[in-house]
Amino acid sequence: MTAETAGRSTRFDWSTWLRRRGWTAGVWLLLLLMILWYSALIPKFGGFQIASISKNSLPLVYLAIGQAVIVIAGGIDLSVGAMLILSNSIAAQLMFEQPFGVTLAIAVLVILIGAVINGVVGWIITVSRVPDIVVTLATSFSLSGVALLVLPSPGGGTSEGFRAMFTGSTTGSGSNFWPSLVAIAIPMALAAWWMKNTRTGLSLYATGSSPTAAYLSGVRTARAKIVSYAVGGGFSALAGLSALAITGSGESRAATGSLFTLRSVAAIVLGGVALTGGIGSVVGAAAAGIILFTLSPILSAMGIDPNSAQVVQGVLIVVVMMVAGIIELRRQRAG
Amino acid sequence: MKRRTGLRVAALVGVFALIAAACGGGDSAEDETYTIGVSNTLAGNGWREQMICAIKAQALASGVVDEVVLQNENTDTTGQIGQIESLISQGVDAIIINPTEREGLNSVIEEAISQGIVVVAVDQAVTAEGAYVATNDQVAYGELGARWLFDQLGGEGNVVEMRGIDGVPADTDRHAGFEAALADYPGITVSQETFTGWDPTTGGQQALDIISAGDVDGIWTSGIDYTVVEAFQSAGAEFVPIVGADNNGFIDQLLNVEGLTGAAVTNPPAIGGVGAAIAIQALTGEEPEQVVTLTPEVFASDDQASLEELFDPDQQVGWSTYVEIEPYTTYEASQVSDCVGPGEE
Repeated sequence: MTAETAGRSTRFDWSTWLRRRGWTAGVWLLLLLMILWYSALIPKFGGFQIASISKNSLPLVYLAIGQAVIVIAGGIDLSVGAMLILSNSIAAQLMFEQPFGVTLAIAVLVILIGAVINGVVGWIITVSRVPDIVVTLATSFSLSGVALLVLPSPGGGTSEGFRAMFTGSTTGSGSNFWPSLVAIAIPMALAAWWMKNTRTGLSLYATGSSPTAAYLSGVRTARAKIVSYAVGGGFSALAGLSALAITGSGESRAATGSLFTLRSVAAIVLGGVALTGGIGSVVGAAAAGIILFTLSPILSAMGIDPNSAQVVQGVLIVVVMMVAGIIELRRQRAG
Repeated sequence: MKRRTGLRVAALVGVFALIAAACGGGDSAEDETYTIGVSNTLAGNGWREQMICAIKAQALASGVVDEVVLQNENTDTTGQIGQIESLISQGVDAIIINPTEREGLNSVIEEAISQGIVVVAVDQAVTAEGAYVATNDQVAYGELGARWLFDQLGGEGNVVEMRGIDGVPADTDRHAGFEAALADYPGITVSQETFTGWDPTTGGQQALDIISAGDVDGIWTSGIDYTVVEAFQSAGAEFVPIVGADNNGFIDQLLNVEGLTGAAVTNPPAIGGVGAAIAIQALTGEEPEQVVTLTPEVFASDDQASLEELFDPDQQVGWSTYVEIEPYTTYEASQVSDCVGPGEE
């Protein structure tokens, strides 16, 4: 069921817009409300606070976009966190004490490595027909193992320009929020445009929606799946690069990776991507990524133990899923 | 159709609003009192929880702190930067940090200091300019325990070094101390090195593997001790000398387990209380020392009297009774056990 693949009417139709983008719009509205609320909770809300939220959300936003692409095409990737760690380790090792230009070239290389590795994983899944969850769980262990080999203990580094590109400050912490907002907006817009306006992007929706129907109508479903994994891998690598920009040095702890993987799945569910595939958008997933980050400072500002922030995250996802389910059920009954 | 999709959006927003409302709002009162923020990245760890209790107890005992704001969840350096920035945003007067990294946090710490916030790193050091540092001497911790162990073995044999978390400042420092001691004992060989992640369960499992592999004459641990002793007990293996920390469970074992020799090297979580005391001194215009280092004490199993004094049968295994640190802490030991901060029930 992909509304997007259907024909487009020339006249702007609000009900169609709401049906197609209602969830995404709702998630962004919610994010806006949360930030407004946060600004009321704390004594001062300015550039520093905006920069803090946007730059610290970056790794999760990229992971959520990558995971969304893969899930929309009917897969699921439990190795995105491990890929983040791996790319973070490789980049920190290679970029140490290099000038900005070189670090930029290394960044492109690292994203390509992520895309190629994950493309191969996608290929293995389509050829072997072993469930995605099994293959990617296995690769998550291998990737974190390799990360430890690349960077046995925390270290390495990157250039000041590279840090500023993601965080707005050469030291990773400051009040200039524009670069981090741009760092969210551009990759998100590119991924969204690609998903909805190119033949390959649309084939991802078709494949995730119904592989058989897509195959019978001439979509190359195996190719779509491999492409989705490659794009997802590229975004996971980008997440690792942004984490490097934030801290200024690399870290290869596997525990961090699995936490990130779980949160990426939480983000796409909250962002309106159906785990059954074919439905949702990367734009919603990106907003949900920021929401999941923002929840912790808000709860802390309210004086609630941040440990319960994780409980709230969990409850939130369950409730949202139930509400979505009920709405869908009522719509089916009414229809 | 239109109405229903509108409903869908409204419902989603409503759900969040409800959850938000249920969580309630915060309160603030400001006259001559201070708010202290705490950033900790290892939640559910007994040692760290006691460190937080010591911070709360000292804040309460000082009488000039109206709130302790906690940022306490399992995360990495990226996450800790987020924690510290969120504490800055909340307008706290001082931030007490148990850092994940020696240098990775410097820029955000310097940002906090530039906004007039007092920053104290406890347990592990940071190199940021202007930050106060209160740590147990981790190099000495590693060295003193290792020397005791190597002496115990008569300078000959295979030892296992069970470390904490790779790359974390305290682990690096302890390892440096361990290596320094090792250099003086050419007859000692390190047959294996493990990372317990400072997790008792993981440490116990690793100890079982070590025992099964055999050929070990002594074990040095980075404070993951009582599960190592338990591993020997459950494997029915003969004890080798074990170096641990001032955990109540380990003290208990040193006192009461037949055939066990070992030494407890103090690494008091009450360093959190010292950090809080320093933060309050800096806030109230006294000028505390920039760097405070506590030298660990070694209590070996042949010093039963001192061990008896440290042992508290009513406390849990991961608790340290070594809580009063002169001249910094002014709380009662019971206030640390109560773990109640200012304005809490």
